[in-house]
Amino acid sequence: MCMQALHLRDARFRYKGSTEWALDGVSLDVEKGEFVTILGPNGSGKSTICLISNGLVPHALPGDLEGTAEVFGLDVRNHPVAELATKVGIVFQEPESQLFCMSVEEEVAFGPENLAVPRDEIRERVEWALELVGMKGYNDRSPFSLSGGQKQRVAIAAALSMRPEMLVLDEPAYALDPIGRIELYTVLKDLKEKHGMTVLLAERDAEEAAAFSDRLVLMKGGMVIDSGPPRLMLRDPEDLRSIGVTPPQVAEVAHLLNARLMGSKFSFLNVDEAEKTIVGEILASKAGGGR
Amino acid sequence: MAGFVDLYTEADTFLHRMDPRVKIIAVLLLSLLAFILSSLSYLLILLAFIFLLLFLARASLSRTEFALKFVLRFMILIVVLWPIFDPTGSPVLASLGPIKITEPAIWRGVTSATRVGCLATVWYILMFTTSQRDLVRALVKMGLRFDFGLTLAISLRFLPTFGALIDSIKDAQRARGLELGKGGLVKRSRNYVAILVPTIVSALRTADALSLALQSRAYGARSDRTYLRDLKMRASDGVALGMLVAAFVLPALAKYVFNVEI
Amino acid sequence: MIPNAPSSSREKIVSAQRLKFTYEGGVEAIRDVNLDIGYGEYIAIVGGNGSGKTTLAKNLNGLLRPTSGSVVVGGRPTSELKVAALARIVGYAFQNPDHQLFCSSVEDEVRFGPTNLGYPDEEVRNKVEKAIEAMNLEHLRKLPPLSLRLGERRRVSIASVIAMDPQVLVLDEPTTGLDAEESAELMRRLKRLNDEGKTIILITHDMKLVAEHAKRVVVMARGRILLDSDPRGAFSDIEILRQSNLEPPAVTQLAHRLEAYDIPRDIISPEELVFHLMRARGGT
Repeated sequence: MCMQALHLRDARFRYKGSTEWALDGVSLDVEKGEFVTILGPNGSGKSTICLISNGLVPHALPGDLEGTAEVFGLDVRNHPVAELATKVGIVFQEPESQLFCMSVEEEVAFGPENLAVPRDEIRERVEWALELVGMKGYNDRSPFSLSGGQKQRVAIAAALSMRPEMLVLDEPAYALDPIGRIELYTVLKDLKEKHGMTVLLAERDAEEAAAFSDRLVLMKGGMVIDSGPPRLMLRDPEDLRSIGVTPPQVAEVAHLLNARLMGSKFSFLNVDEAEKTIVGEILASKAGGGR
Repeated sequence: MAGFVDLYTEADTFLHRMDPRVKIIAVLLLSLLAFILSSLSYLLILLAFIFLLLFLARASLSRTEFALKFVLRFMILIVVLWPIFDPTGSPVLASLGPIKITEPAIWRGVTSATRVGCLATVWYILMFTTSQRDLVRALVKMGLRFDFGLTLAISLRFLPTFGALIDSIKDAQRARGLELGKGGLVKRSRNYVAILVPTIVSALRTADALSLALQSRAYGARSDRTYLRDLKMRASDGVALGMLVAAFVLPALAKYVFNVEI
Repeated sequence: MIPNAPSSSREKIVSAQRLKFTYEGGVEAIRDVNLDIGYGEYIAIVGGNGSGKTTLAKNLNGLLRPTSGSVVVGGRPTSELKVAALARIVGYAFQNPDHQLFCSSVEDEVRFGPTNLGYPDEEVRNKVEKAIEAMNLEHLRKLPPLSLRLGERRRVSIASVIAMDPQVLVLDEPTTGLDAEESAELMRRLKRLNDEGKTIILITHDMKLVAEHAKRVVVMARGRILLDSDPRGAFSDIEILRQSNLEPPAVTQLAHRLEAYDIPRDIISPEELVFHLMRARGGT
């Protein structure tokens, strides 16, 4: 059987001291090479899934974990975070509290140093990771001097330098301004399209990542409500609204057009697609023109 | 608040390039030397030497002045107060009741002040020519346990962040009508709770998040670890270290073994 | 109150004149700002990082004082008033509620502000009740604020500012971290406050939020005001938005690209766009 990056089967998890189940029977697979985005409101359980993927749940954040939870074939309950961290890199939502070194270079080198990687290889990995996130040359900068978007990209580089097989990001754009968001999603898009990286992304807002994800997973109240390719999941924006996630505006446009024009099955994932299709098929065929 | 602890200024001088371990040892030896020497003339020579180093480190006059402002004031205070508390010796220059200003006492005051000047300036040079990163690296290389070094590094890294946090909290509470300077002792202490609690809560939250981040980077995965940047002593560092040890050992020998009065 | 009246016909509550502000390190955060805000307005001050919008906001309640120029609040220049005195007129809810919360119950937290301002007990009780009701915190009033979820903590922080009964409410990125439902709920309550006559000033970079709620938009970049108009005016000028490091909503971007097809540029909702597309197509 082909080993999946993440394999959850009827997983349930309750944080210690809590009466509610953060995950209440979740079955979810992430295949190698997939880019999966989990969409859900606050409290839906998407963060908990991110934390399970490198073992922070249940090792650093204790509680009751039931069901199957495997990362690259390893049961997270039986393998320490230090071991899972070699396979899974994670980026958290708060830029400030995940960068703790005094320079960008130290930060990105920290992971491989902990794994006793030889110095030359660390050097290579640091340069490779910084280039990937567009922060080449920032080696000696202190984290304090970076913008939010830059900090998050350094955090991604710091995870990538460990050469993980999967990258997990928990609401990475949380604290970012528009420029920072664009920088971040450009990096993620590159990771997918140029490097075929396995990525698990958790978001509250569907606007950006939906466009280039392989699969969207909708969650609410600790359960998976639906899962499928973006075009399918965004066909009816009400599906997203009903779980408390704002659908991308272009998806709403497509849906409204489909309602007004008989027989049309438009599907827009981003502004470019929407423009091209609208110009080509709607505005080009005025009333009286062929259809 | 960053300026308070981080005096490091980048420049390309031999002091900046020197191995930080040698610099730390230099500062320790020179500080000890300042205590070993008891004659003013030798202390002044030491002070002159230290100022020469300061010059070679290309410290700008204005920044140095600012940093050493307090030290200067302290030195003047010592010179002024010493004779008042040390009435021994002759000749007596002036007297007012129990207070006797004697010439030797004045010289003793000046000697102590010079000593303080030597100490402060030499530590300033260390901070000025060595980044925090290198300082911690040097301490770890000299034997400090890695996790202590990491704790120190993280604390230093977060000092400016917490400074900014406290300012932000103060602003937020002032915007709710909190007046920090007002009121009697009891009221003022209660007011500080409004600053302290959010600060501590934020600090704890940050600590929790940091702990998760550290674990996620496999911290503690193995007992051995490698280092991207390593400290290597070069020939020039060895020479400097040799000269330093000589500069310390010779006077020490002279004083304690050969009883030369220095 | 006439919610849709142009600002010039209202009495001014806050007025910045030739305002300049430079931080201690020499950073010129505000270069030359003139801004009049009338009673009961609902205004959004937008811009990217470094635009000066937060610096401007802090000049309005005295946390920062003008380097040159003046800020007049309720008829008096801020340079003459202490922050505590200005807090009676201009309430400021910070982006991170955890920078304000420290009491053992929501009630105590909300009571903190008006107590500091020296109101008599009876009045404090009234103001606290109104604030708790305005932010829907009735069922949480005895709980410790720090144990609540982010959306609830944000409402407590805003309630604690409302309780001081200021005429003007400045909110710094109030929807950060909130999901769609929490955000909608909060904005609904802010609208109610505006309907009751409060002046609302939103500091944000979320253009979708601005499109849906603000009645006046002030776009800032590099310490200056680039544009001051109603939302439609702001969204028509996509160049200015880009210059200010702001991301116009997707439908607005799309509308701009379809300009050549007689689609208006100031579209801010999917419904509007589809309506105009149908019209441009020649009807169904």
